[in-house]
Amino acid sequence: MNNLALKANGITKYFHDPVTMQVLKNIDVTINKGEFVSIVGKSGCGKSTLLYVLSTMDTDYEGTLEINGMKTTGKSLNDLARIRNESIGFVFQFHYLLPDFSCLKNVMIPALRLGKLSHKEIEEKAYEKLKMFGVEEQALKKAGKLSGGQQQRVAIARALVNDPAIIMGDEPTGNLDSKNTSIVFDLFRQLSKEYGQTIIAVTHDEDFAKRSDRIIEMADGEIVSSRR
Amino acid sequence: MKISVNTEIALTYLTSRKKQTVVASLGVMFGISMFIFMQSLMKGTNDYFEKMSFTNTPHIKLYNENKVADNHMLQSFFKDESEKILTNHKQLSQSQGLTNPFGIVGQIRRLAEVSAVTPQVTGNVIYTSGSVELPGNVAGVEIEQEDKMFDVKGNMISGNLLDLNRIHNSILIGKGIADKLSLHVGDNITVRSGSGNLLIMRIVGIFATTIKQVDETKSYANIAQVQGLLGKDRSYVTEIKVNLINYNNAPAVARQIETITGYKAEDWVKANEQLKAGFKVRAVILNSVIGVILLVAGFGIYNILNMTIYEKIKEIAILKAQGFSGGAVTSIFLQQAVYIGIMGGVVGIIFGFTLTFLVSKIYIGAGTLKYLPMSFYIPHYLQALSFGVITTIAAGYFPARKASKVDPVTIIRG
Repeated sequence: MNNLALKANGITKYFHDPVTMQVLKNIDVTINKGEFVSIVGKSGCGKSTLLYVLSTMDTDYEGTLEINGMKTTGKSLNDLARIRNESIGFVFQFHYLLPDFSCLKNVMIPALRLGKLSHKEIEEKAYEKLKMFGVEEQALKKAGKLSGGQQQRVAIARALVNDPAIIMGDEPTGNLDSKNTSIVFDLFRQLSKEYGQTIIAVTHDEDFAKRSDRIIEMADGEIVSSRR
Repeated sequence: MKISVNTEIALTYLTSRKKQTVVASLGVMFGISMFIFMQSLMKGTNDYFEKMSFTNTPHIKLYNENKVADNHMLQSFFKDESEKILTNHKQLSQSQGLTNPFGIVGQIRRLAEVSAVTPQVTGNVIYTSGSVELPGNVAGVEIEQEDKMFDVKGNMISGNLLDLNRIHNSILIGKGIADKLSLHVGDNITVRSGSGNLLIMRIVGIFATTIKQVDETKSYANIAQVQGLLGKDRSYVTEIKVNLINYNNAPAVARQIETITGYKAEDWVKANEQLKAGFKVRAVILNSVIGVILLVAGFGIYNILNMTIYEKIKEIAILKAQGFSGGAVTSIFLQQAVYIGIMGGVVGIIFGFTLTFLVSKIYIGAGTLKYLPMSFYIPHYLQALSFGVITTIAAGYFPARKASKVDPVTIIRG
């Protein structure tokens, strides 16, 4: 059982605005440690909604969620924030960097929040992550001054800085050209294989999905297939 | 140096929007410097007027209050149940003076709080020179004691007040009397008392206070001469004036003296009620002006932080996604408010001090008031700083709490 990164049981969720509607219908899903999972499906099938529930950011659902064997359903917002900080890294379609800070600082902030390492160690680590994505030259530039591809790579570096057990991506390559997409994919691949990090990505990109370990396909709030 | 990550983010937000930060701190600065300036001016003026009032009023004045006849004699004569009504009651015929005045002076002098005690005889007189007559009053005093209490020497414009002790039948007159009767030091003046006694006195000095009415009526003479002029013996004293080490204790000490002596002791607070009323009214005006200024500064900060939060709502969402708790987000925005408050406060204190200092150099030159009276009172500065910081915290709290409640899912998913 210790091999489970994430376990969700009977996840059900409703949207109430403008009319009440069930978006997730009794979803059970388990994801192993080190697994690289893609979630695919048409727009509005609930795949992003599921990802946000799994990410602990969305707490308005029925069912139970366990991350690394610990039940997160019903925990306080502050506890959840701590769990996210420590064990979950996020990559979004849009980079969401803080434009007033340097790239290095952007990457450092989650680690500073966690506060497990000294300032100097964090700086070295952040720099190392930027290097992994080939954007170390931009480290001291303001995040707002970079090109879109570079910003996304910095954003991924930021998601990795605390060495989270799970990395979640909502269309992580949605805004990238094919070259950048393949760089990012290779890195994800490497992270799951070599470092045993679990990767869960919602994507529209079929190539990206095909090359992952498992594809979960969703339709109308239900999982219709789960292929390896 | 270890700065927390919240602080670091707060400072970056402040420095990346320098203009807004400066405008917000200017609001606080303005409020605080006005607070300091107006408090200094008010305290300075109040202190000045208080001091001025002591140039002709002692801290405590002990005198024999005129009593009006009441029915207690009738009551003891007719020892029955009937109601005694006294119509057309008159002032009791009694000596204006205090009984055993020098004994009382000795008693009062023994009180720990007292710094100076002096007996005085006051009499209404008519000054005559040639054919011109002028009503007024003469104060029989021990001139050294009087000088110690009221700085008579500081008001002298010619002559020497100590000649009052050296020259027999000498007098110090107010400048108004001297002008009206065309008299100079060395001239003689005829002083006639209400009882008809008449004394020709030598003018040894002329004084000028800022109060015209005093200058036109008052004169000082040796206590023994005034007693003689009024046809009274050497134990006749109409009032005893008492000064204290700390004049704020006057009401309490006055009550103590009243119980010891049985005479009416009037403290300066009672004698100058209109002065105190003026202080109170000014305090209300001042505090409402300061309140409005700080309120406006507070709204400025509230506005700017609110705008920042709308601008940064995505960044707040992403911070929360990365594991910043609501408390951490509140701290980031509240800290911005506090830094704005401290910056504005420190600059405001410097500016307020400079303003106060410059204004204290403005020449007024009315009466004895040469420069605008400003006080430099450290508690004002501390109060100003704490008010400034409290206002900014209050103004920053609501936007900060709003920021902490941002739901990352709704913002990030759009």
